[in-house]
Amino acid sequence: MAEQKKREKGVLVIGGGIAGIQSALDLASSRVKVYLVEKSPSLGGRMAQLDKTFPTMDCSI
Amino acid sequence: MMDAGRHPNIEVFTNSELVKLTGHAGNFRAIVLKRPRYVDPELCTGCGICSDNCPVAVPNEFEVGMGARKAIYSPFAQAVPNTYIIDRENCLNDDFLACTHCRDVCDRNAINYDEIEEKVELEVGSVIVATGFDVYDATAIASYGYARHENVLTNMELERVLNASGPTQGHLVRPSDRKSPRKIAFIQCVGSRGEGKEAGCQYCSRFCCMNAIKDCVLVKQHVADIEELIIFYIDMRASGKGFEEFYQRSKELPELRYVRGRPSKIIEDPESKDIIVCVEDGETGEIQRIRVDMAVLSAGATAAETNEKMADILGLQLDENRFFEVDTKYGSPLHTGREGIFICGCAAGVNDISDSVAQGSGAAAEAEKFVAKVRLEEKPREIPELDLSGPPRVGVFLCHCGINIAGVLDINALEEYARTIPDVVHAEDNLFLCSDEGQKIIQEKIAEHKLNRVVVAACTPRTHEPIFRESCELVGLNPYLFEMVNVRDQCSWVHSGVPDVATLKAKDLLKMGVARARHLQPLYRKSIPINQSVLVIGGGVAGMRAALDLDAQGFKVFLTEKENRLGGRLNNLTKIYPANLSAVELARAMVEKLNASRVEVMASTKINSITGFVGNFEVATTNGNFQVGTIVVATGADIYKPDKEFGYGQFANVITNQELENILHDTKGKIEIRGAMPKTMAFIQCVGSRDPEKNAYCARYCCPTTIKQAIRLRESGVNVVVLHRDMRTVGAKAEEHYRRARSLGVKFIRYTPERLPEVNGRDGRAERVEILELALNRVLEVDIDYVVLACGMVPAKESTSKLQEILKIPRGTDGFFMERHAKLGPVETTTEGVFLAGCVGGPRDISDSIAQGSAAAAKVAQFISRDTVSLEPTTCVVQPVICRACGKCVEICEYHAPSLVVTDSGYQAAEINQALCKGCGTCASWCPTGAITSLHFTDDQINSMMDALLTVED
Repeated sequence: MAEQKKREKGVLVIGGGIAGIQSALDLASSRVKVYLVEKSPSLGGRMAQLDKTFPTMDCSI
Repeated sequence: MMDAGRHPNIEVFTNSELVKLTGHAGNFRAIVLKRPRYVDPELCTGCGICSDNCPVAVPNEFEVGMGARKAIYSPFAQAVPNTYIIDRENCLNDDFLACTHCRDVCDRNAINYDEIEEKVELEVGSVIVATGFDVYDATAIASYGYARHENVLTNMELERVLNASGPTQGHLVRPSDRKSPRKIAFIQCVGSRGEGKEAGCQYCSRFCCMNAIKDCVLVKQHVADIEELIIFYIDMRASGKGFEEFYQRSKELPELRYVRGRPSKIIEDPESKDIIVCVEDGETGEIQRIRVDMAVLSAGATAAETNEKMADILGLQLDENRFFEVDTKYGSPLHTGREGIFICGCAAGVNDISDSVAQGSGAAAEAEKFVAKVRLEEKPREIPELDLSGPPRVGVFLCHCGINIAGVLDINALEEYARTIPDVVHAEDNLFLCSDEGQKIIQEKIAEHKLNRVVVAACTPRTHEPIFRESCELVGLNPYLFEMVNVRDQCSWVHSGVPDVATLKAKDLLKMGVARARHLQPLYRKSIPINQSVLVIGGGVAGMRAALDLDAQGFKVFLTEKENRLGGRLNNLTKIYPANLSAVELARAMVEKLNASRVEVMASTKINSITGFVGNFEVATTNGNFQVGTIVVATGADIYKPDKEFGYGQFANVITNQELENILHDTKGKIEIRGAMPKTMAFIQCVGSRDPEKNAYCARYCCPTTIKQAIRLRESGVNVVVLHRDMRTVGAKAEEHYRRARSLGVKFIRYTPERLPEVNGRDGRAERVEILELALNRVLEVDIDYVVLACGMVPAKESTSKLQEILKIPRGTDGFFMERHAKLGPVETTTEGVFLAGCVGGPRDISDSIAQGSAAAAKVAQFISRDTVSLEPTTCVVQPVICRACGKCVEICEYHAPSLVVTDSGYQAAEINQALCKGCGTCASWCPTGAITSLHFTDDQINSMMDALLTVED
């Protein structure tokens, strides 16, 4: 059942794709605790599946 | 992705979902269900031996079903976390066989078949919904034969096939015979903009047009002798920043052809398995059957399957397309119907990457208001620094980047070579050094071989250097003792046709990198105190939003507006699509909120000068001076002013869309222009846009605006004709509005830039519009009372130039301010502490401008939620003893960093402000006495690279 670990109050972000990751990083960088919940086994979402993104052709990972 | 996995303030729950949310804004209680991975993340090293020994192979979801994975697997090489996971539905451990292969081979005893699910209770102030979309199931369109015809792929499948780490290692082959295709067709709007029985979704999926163009460019790189690439489309929708330019550039590919038309069906030749696309060419009316080797369906986006369940848990509503409903009352795309719950990305409708990133940041700013009082205390990381004494001990790490690098360069030869370079004590290669595993290997080897310099030969430092630097720092190696050599962009990509030469060049670059690494010195970031306040320049919708969001977080905000009232362009608009929100009321509501807030609003105020640097800007205005720590530039854009185009200025009844908006603003209910109701009005799109002679970009806002105005006129009984090049319905519900306009009888006729519509008339009045109807190949004459020019958007002339000079923000070829990264940093600039919001960075609509206002607020909060800021130490410094105070550096520095001061010893010398200096090195190269050193790019370091390059080896 529920863990005993003490967790600070924060923001819940549902979805670990590019939008959710961006939200999480911006909040965390402003000293806010973030709980990032992703239903699949890894973060990354659709963007991780893309080969490259235009127009810079940077890798999507 | 890696950053989120590593950030000390983020706790990541993967393989998990929210199952319950109670409470209210500021005090929610969430229950998250953590599903078992059956692999202990503390023990798993991600070595993959378990997976190698697993007897079960199933289709790989990440590869969209192409290729296989095992029942115990890691979803992809760079997965975060990199802990393996057992898919129990396919695992044989539950079976009567009770297979334990993976547990048997795991040295770390990380595998636990008995792990159970766990519920975690969290206390949260606010919630962000970023649940994304599902890809449209293309099998639903039977006439396209997806899943029946082997050589019909989806866009997502093509992405994986093109990817170096994908199922074909990046070799583009068609499924039926594994041969490299010569002719490929791309079919747009599959599942989007649907009509009829195989309708799919009615909206436009927004990302597929640009995705198809990008894929064509990539295919050409993969298959140099490709013969033909054809994109079948309805409208080419290239309306983001730089999109139209990219589209026009793509037309320079001789192999790429655009055919306007939605194929009626796709047939397979049973013998050759070739694909035949049946289509009516929309421009010639001709029915064509085009034979290709392979077809790619641009499948659109649909609402995520989980939306119903999530909406239930969160207490939110879904719209008719099963996306989350947005509360449009604030004009913002980020608000839901429930206070404290915000939305971003594709959860409420389709967005592209750049807008998803801006919305992600914007939602962060909104969510932050509810937890601003409970910010975390920051503990500085205390990592003992490694002993650096003794000669350099260089470790070289070579990245395959799948086959991006290893497919061209001879990595083994490179590795052998690396071992021969002086002071290299270790060299090894890895499939993906940017993966969690790759980072760990570097860290382990630093300890194992007592490395005091690390060289990584991989991709570009622009995106990846920070990750590697941080990995070094985490084990106590000063991050400035790290050197990156870009053998991907500079070797394997540009010389892919000549692998031997590419490898030779990579050796040279590596040799130079190691030489430089040997001379690298540790550098330390300095902290300076900052002023925890912000200046927002521009009181339009984006600026007001940023100011309100930051005030709500408790920060001191100054908002300046050059006009005598706030509201910007909102003041000149009537209703805002899609929700028919009154622009004036939205402006009024925001102004009222501002008046009730602590924001210092300064109307009729212009900026005279801004000096200083991040955390410490001195602002001088026409209305007093003050200090701030950060700046948001939200000065908007101007509407293009037509220069006699289409009879503007010559005929009194040729007006701009803004002039029409003013008329609509004044007429309540009935449409009357100068006392009479017009009978027929013609709109002409792309005035001052998509024209390399004027402005090459697409102004994005004008198509939806025309549709809005056309509906309003048509509903009042006016006949409306819209002359356009492509109808680009960007934004929420815009496609639905386009459909509605057509069903109301608004006529849409396409023109090409080669044959512009002609407006004819006499005595100062336009009477007729002539347009070549392409399919009929006949000139149509339309009698009109008014012509409305849909004018594009241009950078605000005066304010943009002035601010560019004051703030040193570069501008793109389009004249708009340039963001740090078109996709990943849409509101950041290259000047630290200065951010952009709204149309100052490029044309966008109200909803996107508001999202950017919030996004800029989130970025500002990252600085001013702390009382110090740390400075990059890669700056220039002066040795005062050698300086003769000639002042050359003061004169040439773009950033005003150097100044002449009297030193403690009483003589004059230059001094460089470390906070202002960007480390560009211009002063160092100009300095006649050599008194200036560019740290991290010292003469020693650069000379050693030259020496290494010019040394002839046997």
